[in-house]
Amino acid sequence: MALDAIEKFSESLPDLARDIKLNLSGVLQEGALNAQQFWGVAAACACAARNPRLTQAVLADAATSGVAETTLEDAKAAAVLMGMNNVYYRFRHMIGKEAYSQRPARLRMQRMQKLAGPKAEFELFCLGVSAINGCEMCVKAHEAVILENGLTEEQVHDAVRIAATIHAAAIAAELQG
Amino acid sequence: MLVPGQKLPDFSVPACVGIEKGKEFRPVSNKDFPGKWIVLYSYPKDFTFVCPTEIVEFDKKLKEFTDRDAVVLGGSTDNEFSHLAWRKDHSDLKNLHHPLLFLTPALVGQLGILHPEAQAALRATFIIDPDGVVRYASANDLSVGRSVAEVLRVLDGLQTDELCPCNWKKGEETLTQKLKKAN
Repeated sequence: MALDAIEKFSESLPDLARDIKLNLSGVLQEGALNAQQFWGVAAACACAARNPRLTQAVLADAATSGVAETTLEDAKAAAVLMGMNNVYYRFRHMIGKEAYSQRPARLRMQRMQKLAGPKAEFELFCLGVSAINGCEMCVKAHEAVILENGLTEEQVHDAVRIAATIHAAAIAAELQG
Repeated sequence: MLVPGQKLPDFSVPACVGIEKGKEFRPVSNKDFPGKWIVLYSYPKDFTFVCPTEIVEFDKKLKEFTDRDAVVLGGSTDNEFSHLAWRKDHSDLKNLHHPLLFLTPALVGQLGILHPEAQAALRATFIIDPDGVVRYASANDLSVGRSVAEVLRVLDGLQTDELCPCNWKKGEETLTQKLKKAN
């Protein structure tokens, strides 16, 4: 499976980030997660990690690898929606006051009902993003739904490894200025 | 009158969809809009005064409805030819971007919106979800116009379900369990 764009991206990283460069090729391969799953997680996490060069590289290689455009759209949606929900629900969790949990959020998230792929897959994308954004409540909730939907702890674990590596790659990319 | 929780009866009725010659009429059915919400509003009579302001207001806010995956359908007990004549006659109605339906006697009966004395439709508004279930129903007497902003507010409210498992509270069913039970 070609990682042409990502390899090109990795070459531009400073030498101090060589581990990350190697981890990228390590996590972006089929294992517990199939191609659609790991590319979707990588795409969602790249968006969340906010480095445009990295995002472009991930999306390019995902497309070349045959991942459907609709899957990548769902991955982007996961990043965007978690961008909102990780903040909101993390607040609820942090503040620890029942009163806030009783208030309706009144935040639209209808895109979650328009998924192109299986819900469990979307939840994997959300889990990866939530891990990056650091929302404990979200991470726990998404993990629970993922397992309920028949995926495994190994798959969850690999998704988080991707999230971690993608996040580091974004940081490393920022060092270039 | 049809109330929230009930299913919208299937219908297919003639409608005036434009004033361009040859393209004035088309049958409109609730089944024409899979996956969409439907905002169906009725008004008493063509060629009267309160009605055009409401119709124009719905039309002006059409993008807000489209952004919320909702289609807007207006209608009265007048037939599609009357709608056409009115649209041609009234400058504000010439360029409507949503259809005006002929609410047939059968449909008006099923919706339960016939004003008993006037024998014309009440000013009723229904919001129907993509599963065909009525989620909002309101009716005004003939003389009082409705607030389109209020309809949008309700539609927004109906569409802000917390769909993310992030809102799961310990001890509660998870979203998946809820969905399984609902099915």
